[in-house]
Amino acid sequence: MRIGLVIGFVLAAASAFADVSAVASVDRNHIAFGESAVLTISVKGAQDGAQPSIPKVDGLAFDGSSTQTSVSFVNGQVSQSMNFTYQVTPGRTGEFTIPAIEVIVVGKGYVTAPIKLAVERGATQGDLSQVLFARVLFPAKQVYLGQTMPLQVLVYSRADVPLRGLVGFNYEADGLGFKFLPKLKTGTQIVNGESFNVQVIEGAISPTRAGMLNFGPCILKAQLTVQKHGRGGGSLFDDSMFDQMMGRVETRDVPVTTEATAIEVLPLPEEGRSADFAGAIGQWNLDVTAKPTEIAVGDPITLTIKISGSGNIDTVPAPKLGSLDEFKTYDPTTKTTKDELNTTGERVIQQVLIAKSTDVKELPEVRLTYFDPVARAYRTAVQSPIKLVVKAGSGGQSTIVGGGGRLRPDEKLGQDIVYLKGDLGPSAPAVPFCATRMFWVLNIMPVLGLLGGIGWKRRTDKLRGDVAYARRTRAARNSRKLLASATSYDEVQRALQNYLGDRLNIPAGGITASIVDEQLMPRGVNGELADHVKACFEACDTARFAGGGADTNMQATRENVERLIDELEKKQL
Amino acid sequence: MNLRRNSFRIVAAIWLLGAGAAVAGPSDDFKAANQLYDAGKFAEAAAAYEKIEPKKAHAYYNLGNAWFRQGKLGLATLNYRRARRLAPRDPDILANLKFAEQRLGVDDVNTPPRVVQRFLRSVIESRTPTEWSVYELTALWLTALAVGACIYIPRIRTGFLVIAVVGFVGFALSVFALGDEVLNERMAPQAIVVAAETEARFAPMPDSTVHFRIVEGTKVAVREDRGQWLLVERADGQQGWVRSETIGQIAFF
Repeated sequence: MRIGLVIGFVLAAASAFADVSAVASVDRNHIAFGESAVLTISVKGAQDGAQPSIPKVDGLAFDGSSTQTSVSFVNGQVSQSMNFTYQVTPGRTGEFTIPAIEVIVVGKGYVTAPIKLAVERGATQGDLSQVLFARVLFPAKQVYLGQTMPLQVLVYSRADVPLRGLVGFNYEADGLGFKFLPKLKTGTQIVNGESFNVQVIEGAISPTRAGMLNFGPCILKAQLTVQKHGRGGGSLFDDSMFDQMMGRVETRDVPVTTEATAIEVLPLPEEGRSADFAGAIGQWNLDVTAKPTEIAVGDPITLTIKISGSGNIDTVPAPKLGSLDEFKTYDPTTKTTKDELNTTGERVIQQVLIAKSTDVKELPEVRLTYFDPVARAYRTAVQSPIKLVVKAGSGGQSTIVGGGGRLRPDEKLGQDIVYLKGDLGPSAPAVPFCATRMFWVLNIMPVLGLLGGIGWKRRTDKLRGDVAYARRTRAARNSRKLLASATSYDEVQRALQNYLGDRLNIPAGGITASIVDEQLMPRGVNGELADHVKACFEACDTARFAGGGADTNMQATRENVERLIDELEKKQL
Repeated sequence: MNLRRNSFRIVAAIWLLGAGAAVAGPSDDFKAANQLYDAGKFAEAAAAYEKIEPKKAHAYYNLGNAWFRQGKLGLATLNYRRARRLAPRDPDILANLKFAEQRLGVDDVNTPPRVVQRFLRSVIESRTPTEWSVYELTALWLTALAVGACIYIPRIRTGFLVIAVVGFVGFALSVFALGDEVLNERMAPQAIVVAAETEARFAPMPDSTVHFRIVEGTKVAVREDRGQWLLVERADGQQGWVRSETIGQIAFF
């Protein structure tokens, strides 16, 4: 795997050597005496070129050379480059020409183009049009009426121009329909030996009348970032031209204009125009298929006509079909796709046909006549008749009787009311459901149920988590149960102890009559009720330790304890 | 087992109520009225439909057709709207109502101007008040049960929480729709102008100044009822007094 990658890389690298080029450029070709320019020699497609020999130029010194190499590997493609840079310092003013420089790569020489360099005395007077300008490019100066022609508006900005972007684009185009793509393309280009950034606005025009028409002038607004200190000593952006901008870093909109471009719009020629021509302009291909070609009478055949090519697809009508008398036809379906500028497109027309009899042998010929603006002539694309094999239908049917013509009649909707109903339909309830008691009961039930559920959940959670609360809540019930089953004073006393222990959340085992003074009186149990508690304990103790006591006395004591519990339940302990 | 059977009965009762009412077969009067219509006796047919009580959706619909055939498009619109209240999704009723309103040129006037209002109105009017009541109950029970499940079965709380939120949204929507239908009918009953051109006046007096004119078929809201005179409000908010015989109320309660 790894070896394969290495081999692929090497092969790709080797193939990259096949396309080597060398370009020389300077960062500015107008400098002031005392300034330096930077000369860059870019070698693309190689990485091991020898340092080029810079020819001597009278009045120019080349020094401070440096070399940079780079390799990139994108989508399996290797690209290599190396840059040699030099500082060019003039020894006098004047016009200089840096001659062609030869770079040797793998024994082969690649030569750059000569570059002009102007050196002026004092600060260079900035000429914005030299460093920021625009051009309109048309592929041709003549266009036919109805034709769509692409165009490009290119905005050039020298590498040192602080262009942030384009914020406006106005143009005059009387008699020309036009469309521009909102997304710009960007790139770099060498102009007169200088490196420029290029922003490209792509568009297309479509003339609406014949004659000499102008596209433009165009006014683009370029947004520049202007800094207080430019490159020292006379750069374009720090003196007279940008005096007003120099106070601080800010952005300024600078208009960039192009000249009007004359376009001659020609009418479509009469010569060679056939009767079939219906306005299609461009270069179109016609592709016709039919499926199936072996059928029985009554079976459908799908005829697919595909028109594709360059030009305005909207001008292309449905192609002419020969006679369809031998077929039943359905309405065709059409699907059109085109690029954003409508300069290329495709239209697919599908038509379902049914052969009426076994006598049908072929589909009719398909013809499309269009005007080719490149050849300046009318063309007709012809699809020869497609052969068919039509057999008798499943019931031996060899002919469909009647029904010639279109199967789907034109419908007219909404022209009259719909007819009567035969039944009475739904009725209104005597009382709206929302006004019935049942509705409100059904509404309240889930709310109450939910509230009850929430309350129950909270209570059970508290019983689980709060021991004191749980004991207090269950005290009376548990003690009454014990009392009900008590058969001795011991059990009666234990019931009372348990009750008081649970109510007060203390251990029940050691509770005696002294609890009255220790726990109950501080909690507000005084007087008769306190005496009653003590009496109950004493009665139990006496009976237990005396070892006697009739059942009737124990019964009375039990009832006393029950009453005592009832009374204590009413108290907040 | 009994509990399950009773639960089934309750659910069945709710859904039967939700359906509004059972679809009834044609009565003799209804058939006779249809025959009059078929014979081209539209006035007699309209009178026959008017006599059918209680009227069901299709009786209103056929009555609307009978008025339409007589050129009384305002009355036709009124009865189509009444039919729509009972069967809001019936395509024939909707088609005839739209056609009648288009003929009168009031289809735009009777449609709320803003998109959101139009959408809400179409949603609310796509169900009967009884259906909204059933939806409201279903959503409320669903919400309550899901919230209860969230509390008692915390292991799958997230799932029940989603159900509870969905249920609550449905409940809120249903309450809003039901409230709109019921409260609107209580506070400002909807009505249709049935006279060819109705004059709305500044005061409930015949010699009062005419404030504005309302086209036949226009939907208005009745703000005040003084017997012979009704204070009506147009969709644009303009109010005026009109004679009671010039408009027909859509609602039933």
